Amino acid sequence: MSSQSGSETYSLAVKYAFRELRGGLKGFRIFVACLVLGGAPIAGVRTLSSSISEGLRANGRVILGGDVDVRLTSRSASVEEAVWLKSKGQVSEIQVLRAMVGAPATDQRLLSELKAVDNIYPLFGTLTHPSSERANSSLQNLLSNDGGMFGALVEPTLLDRLEVKIGDTLKIGGLSLRIRAVISSEPDKASQGMSLGPRVIISTEALQATGLVQPGSLIRYHYRLDLNDQTIIESFRDDAKLSMPEAGWRITDSSNGAPGIKRFVERVAMFLTLVGLTALIVGGVGVGNAVHAYLDGKIATIATMKCLGASSSFIFRIHYLQVLALALLGSVAGLILGVGLAFVGSQFLASALPVPAVVTFQAGPLVLATAYGLLTATLFAIWPLARARETPAASLFRDVVAKRRWPRPFYLALVFLTFITLVALAIFTVEEKIFAAGFVVAAIAIFFVLLLLGHFIQFVAKVAPKFRIPALRLAIANLHRPGAATASVVLSMGLGLTLFVTVALIEGNLREQVQDQLPENAPAFFFIDIQNQQLPNFVGAATKIDGVSDVNHVPNLRGRIVKVNGVPAAKVAVASDVKWVLRGDRGLTYAKEIPVNATVVEGEWWPADYTGKPLISLDQGAAIGMGIGIGDTLTVNVMGREVMATIANLREIDWSTLAINFVMVFDQNTLAGAPHSHLATAKAGSDAEVDLFRTITKLFPNISVIRMKEALQTVAKILEQLSSAVTATASITLVAGVLVLAGAFAAGHRKRVYDAVILKVLGATRRDIFKTFLLEYTILGLVTSLIAAGAGWFAAHTVITEILEAKWINLPYTVLGTIVISVCVTLLFGLLGSWRALGEKAAPVLRSD
Amino acid sequence: MPQSSIVNLKSVSLTLKSDAGPVNILRGIDMSINAGETVGIVGPSGSGKSTLMSIMAGLERPSGGEVSVADSQLETLSEDDLARFRRDNVGIVFQSFHLIPTMTALENVAIPLELSGRTDAFAVAAEKLKSVGLGERSSHYPSQLSGGEQQRVALARAVCTEPKILLADEPTGNLDGATGELIIDLMFQLHDAHNTTLVLITHDDDLARKCDRVIRVEDGRVIEQERQSAPQLEGHSL
Repeated sequence: MSSQSGSETYSLAVKYAFRELRGGLKGFRIFVACLVLGGAPIAGVRTLSSSISEGLRANGRVILGGDVDVRLTSRSASVEEAVWLKSKGQVSEIQVLRAMVGAPATDQRLLSELKAVDNIYPLFGTLTHPSSERANSSLQNLLSNDGGMFGALVEPTLLDRLEVKIGDTLKIGGLSLRIRAVISSEPDKASQGMSLGPRVIISTEALQATGLVQPGSLIRYHYRLDLNDQTIIESFRDDAKLSMPEAGWRITDSSNGAPGIKRFVERVAMFLTLVGLTALIVGGVGVGNAVHAYLDGKIATIATMKCLGASSSFIFRIHYLQVLALALLGSVAGLILGVGLAFVGSQFLASALPVPAVVTFQAGPLVLATAYGLLTATLFAIWPLARARETPAASLFRDVVAKRRWPRPFYLALVFLTFITLVALAIFTVEEKIFAAGFVVAAIAIFFVLLLLGHFIQFVAKVAPKFRIPALRLAIANLHRPGAATASVVLSMGLGLTLFVTVALIEGNLREQVQDQLPENAPAFFFIDIQNQQLPNFVGAATKIDGVSDVNHVPNLRGRIVKVNGVPAAKVAVASDVKWVLRGDRGLTYAKEIPVNATVVEGEWWPADYTGKPLISLDQGAAIGMGIGIGDTLTVNVMGREVMATIANLREIDWSTLAINFVMVFDQNTLAGAPHSHLATAKAGSDAEVDLFRTITKLFPNISVIRMKEALQTVAKILEQLSSAVTATASITLVAGVLVLAGAFAAGHRKRVYDAVILKVLGATRRDIFKTFLLEYTILGLVTSLIAAGAGWFAAHTVITEILEAKWINLPYTVLGTIVISVCVTLLFGLLGSWRALGEKAAPVLRSD
Repeated sequence: MPQSSIVNLKSVSLTLKSDAGPVNILRGIDMSINAGETVGIVGPSGSGKSTLMSIMAGLERPSGGEVSVADSQLETLSEDDLARFRRDNVGIVFQSFHLIPTMTALENVAIPLELSGRTDAFAVAAEKLKSVGLGERSSHYPSQLSGGEQQRVALARAVCTEPKILLADEPTGNLDGATGELIIDLMFQLHDAHNTTLVLITHDDDLARKCDRVIRVEDGRVIEQERQSAPQLEGHSL
């Protein structure tokens, strides 16, 4: 009877696959663990970020404070604009600015985030204030002018810092207010951006009375709308452009109520996903090792099946189905763990998020994480499977080596296709595709470099001169003997360590820059909203104080680029890293001379007596990103008026000094007549800082003073929190590497036991054998960590100097610490396994051979 | 009635490469076996007997010569074609049994039937197991069976598809005397029942004399072929 190969059906292959798995999953524990470890962070991070994004979207109106938010800077809406806005729905107006708040009782002052609200605020959501002077009073009641004094609501931190309590008086500008309540939750806080001080809420009437509202003051006017039924959110923006083309306002709608937070969450999620993917790739090495070891033990079975009539394709199918089944098991376990981690993560983030962190079942992230797991398992399993299928049936009679050392072209194509699919998924499922592509390319490059280096080390060990010390000679021989784990360990541990070192060095550099380097160069204070008439007295008062130096001041206006070479800004294609230049209002200034810490790199600075057409000096980076240069024009909307200026020169700005610098500097005449205030900076020694702060805040209550140290500390804190998350995820890659290490050592255990027994038979003591193992693992750990330290240093250096364009700070202890950890981990796992091998009795081993 | 030959080897040679130089395992073997015949192949260790069997089973390709088995020219077939050839025509019993450790006795016997696409694979397998006296042990794994029992399972597996040729390579090499005799008796009984051509590799002359013909192999060459009288069976009933 003859039958076609169609009798070797997939259902038969499935049956055989599961029959073979009855032998147990002993060799696959590492396989499954690697997939769990790699899949969990991806599933967890994506689930959490999707849930947060979904929460931001669902609560958009509350976060934004309206269906839409229309923002103007340094000016309020004109009558015409106000009428137009009112025609679209109910309007609530708030004003937001930074202002100094003083406590007369304690003579303390600090910078606050001041918010003036109207009677309708909040349009959506509720501002809660459980602790208040008047129980059950409305917000408007608490803020009203009662008995000649307006009320204020403050954040709890203000009470601590100014040493005041409810009922005490505050001074803002020229106005005294009474603290009437403490803010518990502010519904639209997330949409306001980064804060440099505690929140203080007063009424719009009160703000007018403070005297802080001056021409050119840095105040953001927000008009929140509850759109009427006739107006839909999607068309509001276009309608606004059409009806009020000159307004120059910035519109945000509730579908993306906190774009800054959304962007931040997406970027962090993307980075953590890529790191998780790296962990999965490291785990893939473990998968490949496990499959290879498993199939090595299956040679007799495969040969027997072939004797009985099974085709090579059938053999492949059986074992690939086994791999897929286990990969699915690992992926699903990873998903469950990941979703669990998302829940835990949401609890930790609850206080930091503007929306309830409700983790919901998100099919997309889970499907993606599963796909990653299955593709990774396939990628690393196909090669050993394809080679195993070539096992000759005659292997039962003799050690016959398969004729093909490489898999057949079909399987090579399958490996390539799987690889491409994995890379495509990594890049095209995130917003920042270029960053993702760069990360993927770097990871692949490091992977292959480590792979080659692993084999190179084995080659070096092979050709190295034979040392006289037996333990050392044997240790080096063990590095290149057939079946040695050297290449595998260098690759998996190396990849995890490289990522760890890279992250640690980048994080360390940024921390050093923010905490140590920047404060050394930076001014002690920034002063904002210095009015024209105050300027001479301000400079005089500041320079009089001993220890104060470098008092610099510049005019400060706000404006928005609306056209580039006559083309509306919205239609101009710009590089992603300079999109911010065209997004919303920018600080503007004008100057007669080249600003401090800037160099003209192209074109010429205008003469001191220039009186011609409007000219602009533009930051070189912004110019390159926008694809413009000398002679091109920018149309800037300044307080409702459009000014078209020609680019006269490009500047290279050293932002790291934190000196006052602007992307756009106008010639000294064009904007001189516009209402504006001044910015100033000053350097001061530690003692002079206190004097300077007290003097300026007392003499000029309207001037906001930003203490650079505090601002940098705020940034440092955010950086620290971020780096904890990144380091934790990078550690997972390291753990994956350790798992692969453990797996590689476990796979070699039998051989190690045999070697130990034979050495004992020949007269070696346990101490002698132990020394050999110790040396072997020390060399392996040291070589791996040196390679990883070098690769990590290179990657971090590239990121810091080329991408972030910052100065590199050497952190030798970080690198040294990584090397020490790597050697210790390799020693620990290696010696653990070897200790067991040393304890085995010789007779049973020799008998069974 | 002249018997037709089922195995024909013409100038078959096999040379293997090794680090120490080429090794001639078989040197110009000419041999033919008739359908239904029982043939014992004897020779000292390393004489090439097992290799000869591998060649006949399509497990190894000759370096030279022609191999015709059951009307198939083996040297022209691909690896998968050889696998299918074995499935349809050859049963093999190994010295080390080579049962699949993760499959039960019944499943092991059923493998060739399943690979052939037989829908009654397990029913036929159960019958064959019963015929070798292991009907009660069908759900046992190889590790739960004695050596003799494992070899009986292997024998059932080898004959379940009623192959044209049954090749047995030192089938009693890992068994004690009594068990070994039981296995041999079973093999000859199955041969009688189905007129299967039986090729028995052994270093035991007494065992070889039970066959119709004995071929003596030494140093990769056939040095003697001797026709025997009718085989004497010990008559062990199932």
